Amino acid sequence: MIGVLRTLTHSVLGRGEATITVPAFDGALKPNQALESAQTLFQCDAPMDLATDGTNVYLADGKTISRVDEGRPVVVRTFEWPITALAFMPDRRFAVALDGREVRVYADLSAKEPSATFNHHGMHCVNALAPAGDDNALYASEGSLKSDFEDWTLDLMERGRSGRALRLDIESGNVEVLALGLHYAFGAGSMDGAALISESWRHRLISIARDGTRKTILTHLPVYPSRFSPASGGGWWLTAFTARTQLVEFVLREPQYRKRMLAEIDREYWIAPRLSSSNAFKEPMQGAHLKTMGVVKPWAPPRSYGLVIRLDPEGHPIFSLHSRYDGTNHGVVSAIECGKWLYILAKGPRRVLRMAVDGLAREFSV
Amino acid sequence: MTDTILSLEKATKLYSGVPAIDGVDFDLQRGEIHAIVGENGAGKSTLTKVMAGVVTLSSGEMKIEGNGVSPASPLESRHLGIAMVFQENSLVPTMTVAQNLFLGQERFYNRLRGINIAAQQFLQSLNFDVSPTATVETLGSAKKQMVEIARAVLNKAKVIIFDEPTATLTPEERNYFFALARDLKKRGVSIIFISHALEEALTLADRITVLRDGKWIVTDDAKNFDQARIVQAMVGRDLSDTLYGSTKKKVRRAGKRVLTVQNLKMAPMVRNNSLSVFSGQITGIFGLVGAGRTETFKVVAGVLKRDFLHGGEVILHDKPVRYRVPAPAIKAGVAYITEDRKVEGFFETSSIARNIFLGLLAKFPKGRLLLSRREQSDTGTNWIKRLNVRTIGDEAKVIELSGGNQQKVVIAKSLIQEPDIIIFDEPTRGVDVGAIAEIHELINRLADEGKAVVVISSYLPEILGLSDRILVSRQGKVVEEYSALEATEEKIMYAAIH
Repeated sequence: MIGVLRTLTHSVLGRGEATITVPAFDGALKPNQALESAQTLFQCDAPMDLATDGTNVYLADGKTISRVDEGRPVVVRTFEWPITALAFMPDRRFAVALDGREVRVYADLSAKEPSATFNHHGMHCVNALAPAGDDNALYASEGSLKSDFEDWTLDLMERGRSGRALRLDIESGNVEVLALGLHYAFGAGSMDGAALISESWRHRLISIARDGTRKTILTHLPVYPSRFSPASGGGWWLTAFTARTQLVEFVLREPQYRKRMLAEIDREYWIAPRLSSSNAFKEPMQGAHLKTMGVVKPWAPPRSYGLVIRLDPEGHPIFSLHSRYDGTNHGVVSAIECGKWLYILAKGPRRVLRMAVDGLAREFSV
Repeated sequence: MTDTILSLEKATKLYSGVPAIDGVDFDLQRGEIHAIVGENGAGKSTLTKVMAGVVTLSSGEMKIEGNGVSPASPLESRHLGIAMVFQENSLVPTMTVAQNLFLGQERFYNRLRGINIAAQQFLQSLNFDVSPTATVETLGSAKKQMVEIARAVLNKAKVIIFDEPTATLTPEERNYFFALARDLKKRGVSIIFISHALEEALTLADRITVLRDGKWIVTDDAKNFDQARIVQAMVGRDLSDTLYGSTKKKVRRAGKRVLTVQNLKMAPMVRNNSLSVFSGQITGIFGLVGAGRTETFKVVAGVLKRDFLHGGEVILHDKPVRYRVPAPAIKAGVAYITEDRKVEGFFETSSIARNIFLGLLAKFPKGRLLLSRREQSDTGTNWIKRLNVRTIGDEAKVIELSGGNQQKVVIAKSLIQEPDIIIFDEPTRGVDVGAIAEIHELINRLADEGKAVVVISSYLPEILGLSDRILVSRQGKVVEEYSALEATEEKIMYAAIH
């Protein structure tokens, strides 16, 4: 009863859950257009993920894995289903998630048969894989048990909280569920032995130990975080596939409105974040100062956005690379450092981008 | 006939045998703007109080137009043509401008309409845009000062003394004050002004006199001075790098995000304001008056309340907070050091130790059962030493201290609470250069220790010299952010205005 009254009061006063606010892009997240100046290597059909074996960068594009060779993709392997996640182990074994429902581990890229297969425990939407530290295991993030990989917008609009963090033991073939009920887990890694997971709809990174202990590493992000990968010198490259806006936050707190919107409006015109914007006049827009002095301001509400955040080993942002409202390299879902380059997958324009790592910190640190 | 309108020869004023000014020679020319600068305790105020008849000389001579005088009261001084405009203005807040102008000159039968008309005509003759029927308490600092000046001119003052005239003015108001001073000069009025803002002295004054430790150090034409020379004369050492180090070569890296303000609203001052503050860094907040900087951080510290409906969020250490009074904010580690120390900063008639100890007690919203006088004294002594408060002892009253030392007491009151986030609002307003350097050093030390430090200042060199990152506020929200490495005065001011 008290809970109901509190919810009612909050919805009237705009407090608690009903506070429709978005954190500012400031400090290390100060907007720039760095991603717009990145070199576009090539465009692909249905890019999903990037991974590196330490020497080369590999791209999961639809059903194929391609090696990025002198800036061009060279197909090295094809699978029967679309690849939703790709990862290499330190010993060059590699793991793929197929259609989000099955994870296979191969001894190397030419191996015909998988050394381990995981397709039980109702896997539905595995979207990121990472070696689990020194163990012979993988950490996997699963966005939702209800929505398919491509239906992430629906999961957000339904305020889905059926994501999972999994530990896949390659030796025994066991799947250990580390956490249930996550608000769209999208990104996995290992931090001090625990699983580091991006929880997109809660805009945060959390670490989950094997005993289930959770610790918030980074929270109150102004974006929806996605996959991350280790950076040289310690820390991480965290990607974010779109930014939060007050309009979307408002819609997320209006269940009746959302219900009708999902039922009656075409998906492309939903008031929801997207990986790219078509700039069609029918697209919803939020009234705000988009331009001041001829410059699109940081508070311009973006329909889509591109962002890579460099985190230090403790998970604090150091600097960030943006593609803002008026950019095109949006929907960044993967960033991998290999040699002196940072490879970035912008799913919005379906591009693989590349930037020299040297000088980024010097140029963009605040 | 000499052009010197007022002079002091070998002027000495002793307080309990201790000289506040010691053998000072000073002269003021007709139609001259003369700046007196010096650290707190240098004797500037005593010197001007002697001229204004507030105190009398222990030895030495004062002359007006060559005639020896010894005014024993401000009224006598006023009759001699000397008026003083104090830092805390002497107007009656509940009376109208016209009533204040004619205060003390009432006739047996006063007609309100008559004095309103007379005041209107007089203010217009001075080109002062102030309504004679406005109540003084409704006026801003600049307009109050106009009324003070008008009153001095009305009293046919030949010499007007200003004590820190620009301390509470915005940059635009300050420029207007400069224009007023120049206009008075044209009318043949001589002006003495005390200022801690050296560039003002350099811009406005014809001549500058520097005092140190109650002694005259130098008097010269303003054009022969620069800031470094004045500072060196004031403190006997070169502080120019400490105070006016222009562009930073290196900034501190941000630590953990300590405070997030999201879409904060407090009508009409704060409008959808969002910003973050990080540990181990100094975040400078610049903006013109009315930009909502102070109000934003007063909401954070529980001094003011945000809008009742949809007022936005304040997130401290990743948890939403809503403070209705300052006590829980203090307990949570938020210290707000006020811009108005005299009104909000301390109990001026209480001792330094008591004031500092009260800061500690504020950390206990439900109070403490036992209070120890010894603990109070020890705490006071300790912090006086730590912050180098210049006083005769921890039992000295705060009102007896100079501006810089009062500010240190206010800072000590907050630091004793061991806060994680320290918000300095105009930390060096009305503080002498020596104390400014010490306060700046303290602020830097706090950031080096990993505290989240916020400095709100209207003084651009201070923002540029101190901050690691600079947020520019305009019309109730942060509109631009600069790293100290890229910021320039022009960029910041442009963002603050456009």
